[in-house]
Parts: sequence; C-alpha cells; structure tokens
Amino acid sequence: MGWFSTVTISLAIDTSTSRTTAGIIEDGALLWHGFRDGSTSHGEALPALVKQALNLQPEIDQVVVGMGPGPYTGLRVGIAFARSLALARGIPVIGICSLDAIAAKVVEVDSFLVATDARRKEVYWAKYQGGIRVAGPGVEFPLELSKVGLPIYGEGAVKYGIGENDEIAYPDLLSLVSLSQNLENHLSEPLYLRRPDALPTSERTK
Amino acid sequence: MSNQPLVLGIETSCDETAVGIVRGRTLLANVIASSVEEHARFGGVVPEIASRAHLESLVPVLQSALEQANVSLRDLDAIAVTGGPGLIGALLVGVASASGLAIGLDKPFYAVNHLAAHVSVDLLTHSLPIEPAIALLVSGGHSSLLQVNDITQDVIKLGESMDDAAGEAFDKIARVMGLGFPGGPALDHESLTGNPNAIDFPRGLTQSSDWLSRPFDFSFSGLKTAVARYLESTPNYKRADVAASFQESIVDVLLLKALAACKKTGIDTLVIAGGVAANSRLRSLAQQRCEVAKLRLRIPASGLCTDNGAMVAALGSAMAAAGRAPSKIDVAATSNLPVTTVQI
Ligand SMILES: [Zn+2]
Repeated sequence: MGWFSTVTISLAIDTSTSRTTAGIIEDGALLWHGFRDGSTSHGEALPALVKQALNLQPEIDQVVVGMGPGPYTGLRVGIAFARSLALARGIPVIGICSLDAIAAKVVEVDSFLVATDARRKEVYWAKYQGGIRVAGPGVEFPLELSKVGLPIYGEGAVKYGIGENDEIAYPDLLSLVSLSQNLENHLSEPLYLRRPDALPTSERTK
Repeated sequence: MSNQPLVLGIETSCDETAVGIVRGRTLLANVIASSVEEHARFGGVVPEIASRAHLESLVPVLQSALEQANVSLRDLDAIAVTGGPGLIGALLVGVASASGLAIGLDKPFYAVNHLAAHVSVDLLTHSLPIEPAIALLVSGGHSSLLQVNDITQDVIKLGESMDDAAGEAFDKIARVMGLGFPGGPALDHESLTGNPNAIDFPRGLTQSSDWLSRPFDFSFSGLKTAVARYLESTPNYKRADVAASFQESIVDVLLLKALAACKKTGIDTLVIAGGVAANSRLRSLAQQRCEVAKLRLRIPASGLCTDNGAMVAALGSAMAAAGRAPSKIDVAATSNLPVTTVQI
C-alpha cells in the first residue's frame, strides 16, 4: 500500500465467564474468533486460541481485554495474559467492563439487566437504559434481580433460569473493541466486587 | 559467554511475585515483591490475597528485572515459569503471564517444577554440575529428600514429611511463642542466644524401626506437640532455650537423614535448598557433618534459597542448554505436581 493505514487491528480477549474467547478485529470487522467452554480451563484455552488468532494475523496494534466482573481465577488469566502479551509487543492494553460487552448485543429492548455467574448462587449484574449502564456492576442473588421486572440477559440469567434470551450469554468481542474507542470505558484494574476470603491455606488444608 | 541463552523466569506459586533473569549460569536480575505483610495478620498465606497481589505486581516486577539485567524483552531466548506445585490461582497468574510473553515474543516456553527449581538455583552459586546429588529440600511447603540424577529430567523422591513441612513447623512454633509470621527467621534469631541442649525435644522417625521402614521420611508433628506441651507446663520458660532446642531437634533430624541418604546411595554431594536452607544452624551443622563424612556440601547463596524467579530461570536455562523440548503453550498449571515431574 502506498499510504499510511489508520486501520486498527485489535486482539480481543475475555475470560470473565465460563467461556474463554479470543478474536481479531480489524477495522470494525471480526476477522477471526474462537472460544472454548469450561469454567476451570481458561489457563489452557486462552494461549491456544490466541496462538491460532496470531497465526492468521500476526500484526496487532492493541489488546482489548474484559476486566470482569467474573470468577477471579479465570478473570486473572485473561488480564495477566493480555498485559504480558501487550508488553512483549510494545502495544497498549485496554480493559473494558465485560458486562457492557454483553449489553451491547441487546437491541430488542431499551431497559434491561445483564447477569453473569458469580458462583455461590449469586450473579454479577448491571442495569442498562438507552444503551448506557445506569446501575452496577454489583453482586446479587438471582431472585432479587428477577424482582426488578426487567428482561435479564447473560450467562447468569441462563444458569439461574431468570433470563429470556440465551443467545446473548457471553461478552461479545466486537462490542468489547468498539467500547474501547471511548476513553471513559477504560479500566486499569479488574472488577472484583468482593473482598477476598480471608482464610489462610494452613486453616484450609486441616 | 554472550552465546549462552538469556532466560527469564517467573515464580508465583505462593505469596512471592518474582522474576529472575540469567544468562547461562550467570545471575543478571532477581526481583521479588512479597504480599507476606498482607497475610501476616491471618497467620498464613491467604490464596485470594496472594493471587490479587500477583496480578498487581507482575508487570512492575518484570520491568524492574529487565532494568536490573539491562536487557529488553526482545533479547530473551526463552521464558520459564513455575508450573507447579503451589496454589492454583497463584500459579495461573504466572503461567498466563509467561505464555503471553512467549507468544508475544515468539520464544520457547518452559513450565517447570518449583521444587526442582529450588535445587537448580545452586547452578548460579557453584560452578560444577550438580549431578549426581542428594538434595535436602526444606521450605514452608515441603520437606523432601531427593536423588538428583539429572536436574533437567531425572529426579527421584527418596522421602518426604509425613505431616508438616519443616518451615511450617518453624512457623507454627514461632506463632505459639509469639514470635510472629513468618516464623523461620524470627526463631533462628531468637535461638542465637539460647542453649540448643537445654531441652531434649523428640526427633521424629529416628527409632530403629523407623530407620528400617521410613529411613528418609520426616515427621514434625510430635515435636510440635512436645514444644506446645513444654510451653504450657513451664510458665517461666526461657524463650531462647526453647527456640534453640526446637531448632536443634529439626536440624539434627534433617541432617541425620540427608547424610544417611548419601551413604546409602554412595553419592558424595549434598545440596540443601529451599527457604529453610537460610537457617543459620542448619548451615553450620551441615558444614561440620559433611566435613566429617567427606561429603561435598552445596548451599545456594543466601537470598536465592527462598522463593525467587532466578531459580526458575536457572532451571529453564539448564533445560535449554541440555536441548530439552519446550513445553506446550497450553500447559495446565498443576497445584500438586509431583517432584519427579521436572517439566510439564
Ligand atoms: Zn518454594
């Protein structure tokens, strides 16, 4: 090409749900994506998926990663991996709220909730209205959310039987990248939302 | 010298976020961030606190290690990481970071055993090959006696602790005596002014029948109970004497069994590794006894005994030098990885 390209090529990653997902987004289009399901296999799934992605498009300009909320162990795999890959390539890494990347796929209603599995029979949730997040993210019991009386989307809604559309269950990579174009959406730290369980290993193993 | 591999090692198996860089067998950088203070008030390592701290510290620690070594990521020839054993959530942060680097740089990746790495760090301190050697590996998580035929692939377990690890026993006794956490260094310090023969505490698994059935295994729970009972029944106990006598009992048993393993196998090199290898009494008594038994004693430089990234880099470097195949990029971190599996 005889001109400088302004097209941004993003590697997008999310490990905030039981689905490990990675993809390449070029100029607003999904060039490739892959996923693997399993709530304890993010560590093995992610490097394999990203390797496949980079085989297809070795040159990337930025890494966009879902910062949760989500079960911590898997969530950290995605963030740790994204940060070190970006460091190795000398490119920026941008963190985005994973619930927002689920909400972005909802078009049939104006007001709704998103819920993902928070384990311990709870869900991570946020409320959206007119395309923006107006409440959350937070942690709540599924029953409390269903009392709100709004449609609920996301893996948590499906798992606890409080949702209506199980096609919009996981963060959408294309949405993750388009959200990253707005600086106000950038997150530098994971959304844990809960304090750590303060039980030392010595007490657990006994 | 410069044609030797430049290897970066990442260690996150417990509460230390550590990155080391070696070229061949030369240490270039060793940076450690510890979350130990956050755990102190709980009297032990809290896994979730450790894992959060790993994610927070990893990139800064990595960057300061590169600065210390005066190299850039692109100069690296390989990435090594602790693949196990350890806390699974903590291990996963390190393995994900290492695989991200390896994929980003398109460099080989070695996921190695934390315990073998403890032994291999001696490669950075002493110049001869390690093998063959008997290794006494003593830390807060492990007390094992190993036969090292080839540190890159052939390690045999001769024995291990049936209950607490040696370092764990130190921590627990220090807690009972009000010396704080982690207890090892505090107890070592306290015992400097005490009499190691003041109290005759039990030596676990050293009866004649034990030498037949469990010659190279350890047990410290009886000792722990004995010390607790002594403290209860002796209101005016001398703290330094209890510390010194307790320490003498542990150190005596560790060395009795380590030297017996050397004798039985005919191997004349003893490596003492792991956090407890920093214990001053263990070091001095080992020196005395190895001299008498005409054994070559190797203890890694102090500062390299507790968990660090240099030991992981050292093992990765040894693997690269030995021509071992790299690990698959999608390895599964394994919390209970046996010591006999040097690489995953
Ligand atoms: Zn260790």
